[in-house]
Amino acid sequence: MATAVVTLSGGSVVSVRLASEKGVAAAPRAEEGAEPKDMGPNPISPELKELAWGFGSFLVFLVIMRLFLVPKVRKGMAERYDGIRADLEGADAAKADARAEVAKYEAALVEVRAEVAKRVDAARVTLDSERGEAIAAANRRIAAKKAEAEAAAVAERAAARDQISAAVTSVTATATSIAVGKQADNSVVTQAVAQAMQSTGAR
Amino acid sequence: MIALEFPPINAILRWQDVAPSFNKIAIIAVLATIIGCTIFAMAARADARKAPRGARNLAETSVEFIENGVIMQTMGRDGLGWTPFLLTLFLFIYLCNVPGIIPFFQMPATARMAIPGALALMVWVVYNGAGIKHQGFGGYFKSVLFPPGVPKALYVLVTPIEFISAIIVRPFSLAVRLFANMLAGHILLVTFALLSESLFQAKDKILIPFGVLPMFMLIFLTGFEVLVAFLQAYIFTILTAVYIGGAVHPEH
Amino acid sequence: MEALAKIVAKATEAAVDPADAKNQAAAASAGYAYGLAAIGPGIGIGYLVGKAVEAMARQPEAAGMVRTTMFLGIAFTEALALIGFVVFILLKFA
Repeated sequence: MATAVVTLSGGSVVSVRLASEKGVAAAPRAEEGAEPKDMGPNPISPELKELAWGFGSFLVFLVIMRLFLVPKVRKGMAERYDGIRADLEGADAAKADARAEVAKYEAALVEVRAEVAKRVDAARVTLDSERGEAIAAANRRIAAKKAEAEAAAVAERAAARDQISAAVTSVTATATSIAVGKQADNSVVTQAVAQAMQSTGAR
Repeated sequence: MIALEFPPINAILRWQDVAPSFNKIAIIAVLATIIGCTIFAMAARADARKAPRGARNLAETSVEFIENGVIMQTMGRDGLGWTPFLLTLFLFIYLCNVPGIIPFFQMPATARMAIPGALALMVWVVYNGAGIKHQGFGGYFKSVLFPPGVPKALYVLVTPIEFISAIIVRPFSLAVRLFANMLAGHILLVTFALLSESLFQAKDKILIPFGVLPMFMLIFLTGFEVLVAFLQAYIFTILTAVYIGGAVHPEH
Repeated sequence: MEALAKIVAKATEAAVDPADAKNQAAAASAGYAYGLAAIGPGIGIGYLVGKAVEAMARQPEAAGMVRTTMFLGIAFTEALALIGFVVFILLKFA
């Protein structure tokens, strides 16, 4: 029977030779008669040579790690972490700077916008006032022309009325002289005509 | 039918010497030291400023695992000085456990009582020593044997229990836990390997295909042992950290 | 039939010498030792891990702490089963 897991098996026989202390080596494949009563030392009890080698190599490992290797690795790690931290801080500072820049730019933008708005407002105000002035001037001109025209119309009307009253007076005077046969009093006729025209004009 | 002939237990645990008093257990222990030192030496040589790769990555991961996963969880910030000790303990136990599943080794060095026993004794000395150093001899034993906040009458009961638990049971259970876990795993692997082998070589040809079943079990158990090797190293380390933390700061 | 039984009994009686009897008793009780030792820790670890998973599900941000404590608890609980295993080895092989 080979022990696949256990050992360097050489063929089909258990090739594990036990560490010989009291003739244990021969034990596993003994004859039928000689039962393997002596199964070697207790499997749980520690063996001195294993203890010495195991603990000795552990101590060596511990000393090397404690004195040389771990501090070195730790130092490297700390250095790199510090580097990373410094980089991070640098990046943060750069970010803050960029933020400040952006804020400044935005402030400038706001200022410029305000300026622009002010100018536009001013332009609008001047435009408005100019337009108002122009309109007022035009209105004034129109009013003047209107007044002129009205005055002209009034004058013409007065002239027309005078003409009419003169014509009516002459006609009335003529008609009266024909009818009465003698020259009518000019002032009376004029007064009557004016009275008649007044009453018709008032109507 | 087949009869499974299990070899005597010592045949699967004790190894012949390759040199005077130098057997496989010793080889594994020495190799563990050499491999651990090599990894950390390579890590220490590598440029620390670049992103860690290879050995350095491994070393830094293990350092951070010990610091964040073990020390910060149990001792807090002021326990960070114990990093080298706990790291060495963890790496050594892990590297001694892992050969249990590596072909041609096929034997966890911790499945013999020697290494777990020695380490547990050392841990016992270390945590008691740390306690005595930090609190003085009287103070330490007072805080261990007479825990504060217990009614005076109960000390009759509490003190013997605390004594047994802190002074005797702790190192014993620490050693036995590691040793028995690895031994049990080893015996399981041996059993299933033997079973599948004897099925594959059975005289009855009908039995031969059934050898696949224990083989699958063997594969599964090998994967399980990977986990156990890590877990036992972790538990040994974290218990050590807990004991040291308890001895240094009794109020926690 | 009865005679046959007697012969078998005699034969087995003759075959058993005291040392073997002791070995057999030890081997049989080894099985009990481990089996009984595994019951309590089995229940305990199941309960422990179940509670830990519950705690982690309730408070995922405390998962790391819960896991550490869980492993500690498992280690303490498991020690009992392992002592049973050691007793098994002692009875069987020592």
